[in-house]
Amino acid sequence: MNAPDRYERFVVPEGVSKVSYERDTKIINAASFTIEREDHTIGNILRIRQLHRDENVLFAGYKLPHPLQYKILLRIHTTSQSSPMQAYNQAINDLDKELDHLKNEFEVELARHTGKQSRDY
Amino acid sequence: MEGVSYQRFPKIKIRTVRDDFMKFELRDTDASIANALRRVMIAEVPTIAIDLVEIEVNSSVLNDEFIAHRLGLIPLTSERAMSMRFSRDCDACDGDGQCEYCSVEFHLRAKCINDQTLDVTSKDLYSSDHTVVPVDFSDSSTGFDNAENRGIIIVKLRRGQELVLRAIARKGIGKDHAKWSPAATVTFMYEPEIYINEELMEGLTLEEKKEFVDSSPTKVFDINPNTHQVYVHDAEAYTYDDEVLKKAEAMGKPGLVEIHAKEDSFIFTVETTGGIKASQLFLNAIDVLKQKLDAVRLSSDTVEADEQFGELGAHMRGG
Repeated sequence: MNAPDRYERFVVPEGVSKVSYERDTKIINAASFTIEREDHTIGNILRIRQLHRDENVLFAGYKLPHPLQYKILLRIHTTSQSSPMQAYNQAINDLDKELDHLKNEFEVELARHTGKQSRDY
Repeated sequence: MEGVSYQRFPKIKIRTVRDDFMKFELRDTDASIANALRRVMIAEVPTIAIDLVEIEVNSSVLNDEFIAHRLGLIPLTSERAMSMRFSRDCDACDGDGQCEYCSVEFHLRAKCINDQTLDVTSKDLYSSDHTVVPVDFSDSSTGFDNAENRGIIIVKLRRGQELVLRAIARKGIGKDHAKWSPAATVTFMYEPEIYINEELMEGLTLEEKKEFVDSSPTKVFDINPNTHQVYVHDAEAYTYDDEVLKKAEAMGKPGLVEIHAKEDSFIFTVETTGGIKASQLFLNAIDVLKQKLDAVRLSSDTVEADEQFGELGAHMRGG
């Protein structure tokens, strides 16, 4: 009865920014990003991207604080060669390019496959 | 911004495509991407479904909300969904969701006038837009008798009962309500790699080999009837149940077979409700995921704010 409205899950409320960035006050090159109305779909690809690929990232992790708080907290700690913001942007750019590549690859494969299928008939 | 790219170049190999089914291999990427695509296909690729029902006459045995719920669950052809607007951010109709950019109207009028029970089905729904209609399963050539197939039953009427209603279908996503999910199932598994230690295997009698092969609940291994050699019959039938490994252990032959999950190869199975084609579902999922990534880019004012404050930060970074 007091459950939040379903649209709360993906509509960012007015006056709230989608991504907010907060630098760590104690540790150099560490920061946390609060991403509103996102979940494991985005959180996990960003984390794996940073942990597994970027050697300047010392720590990257995300959490979904509560199932009814529709946001994720992403924390990044980098070496002095990079910055959390740079790592974050890099991750998004890389993923974007990867998905472009994937789409291309799939379209080519689909054309090849359907072409082959119609020749078989 | 400068920086080395850590991009990967995934590969795809399609095994089967039909309108509502697809099986393909995805290689050279990681589980996070595979899982993100799966999650997006299930919950975030938009489709069209009935969302608002105005009932004029209902003297059937089912109550109004029951019928409204059943109408919502009927899959509608949704090729148009990607280019449609969500009624909540449609400016042509102030979000009441009754304009051509964000909604499609349906009418249903049925009355039973004889002693034969009347089946009211999805085929009795008349759409205002010929591109958005209830999914037709009759041409799927697999087993169904075409003459028998009359669509999805909404309610059954007996003599004198009547149902008249108007319904508005809107664009939505599975996260909002499962009726908008275009996917029936989307699954992926790691591709298994199975090595048989031939030396150890040759040390087994035929009887033992048979026992070993039969220990797997799925038919992963088989025995060549001529050479009596154990071979991998179907690696993908393996469900990571470890039964054969336990068996090998129990027979005193640990290491008889080695099984690894290839952590960068996935076998995807995609089944749709018929609203959109399986191949289109995957392409739409990529587009949706790209939009989501674009939305989480840092806005320029946060970057500027950081740079002002960042005198110190730049200093600390050694810049």
